[in-house]
Amino acid sequence: MSVCMFLLLAVVGMAFDLGRVYIARNEAQIFADAASMAAAQQLDGTAAGIDRARAAVAAMPNRWNLGTKKFSGVVIEFSADGEQWDQQPKNLAALRFARVTAPDNHVEIMFLRAVGGPQEFTVPARAVASTKPVRLTQ
Amino acid sequence: MKRERGHAMLELAVSAGVMVSCLVGTFQFGYTFYAYNQLVTAVGNGARYAAQRTYRAASEQDIERGNAAIRNMVVYGDAQPEPASAPVLPKLTPEQVNVHWELAGDGAPRSVNISIKGYTLDAIYRSFTFDGRPSVEFPYVGKYAPTEREP
Repeated sequence: MSVCMFLLLAVVGMAFDLGRVYIARNEAQIFADAASMAAAQQLDGTAAGIDRARAAVAAMPNRWNLGTKKFSGVVIEFSADGEQWDQQPKNLAALRFARVTAPDNHVEIMFLRAVGGPQEFTVPARAVASTKPVRLTQ
Repeated sequence: MKRERGHAMLELAVSAGVMVSCLVGTFQFGYTFYAYNQLVTAVGNGARYAAQRTYRAASEQDIERGNAAIRNMVVYGDAQPEPASAPVLPKLTPEQVNVHWELAGDGAPRSVNISIKGYTLDAIYRSFTFDGRPSVEFPYVGKYAPTEREP
């Protein structure tokens, strides 16, 4: 009976908790995509452009956890070549890329932790966008 | 012998109630989360398409035709779907997709918000209605064409 209960909880946990984890992961990736595009769009080689990029990311209304929670601890970095990333860049005129990381999305686990799973599951997301996006659609 | 059979029946009757309700709950939430995930993906893809699509604003009809293409992208994964295309989720229609443009002073789009309104998902034992969620906003990075018409 207890073995059955254990298995049942594990299956319920898979359906419920993993379902939420996958949704959160999806939401976080979409947020990162949109936020990096918003940041890259504001870059114009000036310090004001950097400030506008940060403000644009902060103003993104996209939420996670079934559309209820605001993203926190979002990291915005800039780069001229797509390799060296800097949160406080020096050479402003050369900046061409913005990278947004949403690292703090902890999905609380409800059922799986009763059968030895973790307390929470972290689903970080990251995306890079360039100032000149390639348009694939008309 | 008879007594034992009675025990087993009683045990089954009690545990079946718990088991069946657990299974029903698992199916209900599992399916709902799966469907919600599909919706998030569809809305995200549609918003991304909208963000890059040329915004043709020669007239109200052109804007509306553009929005219709975006709605089709969300529901069918295709801006001009074949007549027999199946939606990503059962009974999802383009009318249940809300396209909202945030415009700058000169009429150029700044951002686009796509959300689902009033979609009811039938999870057999219970139904869930999504209204206003999922919702995704993208900055507009496409070309603003105030005088162009939709082809």
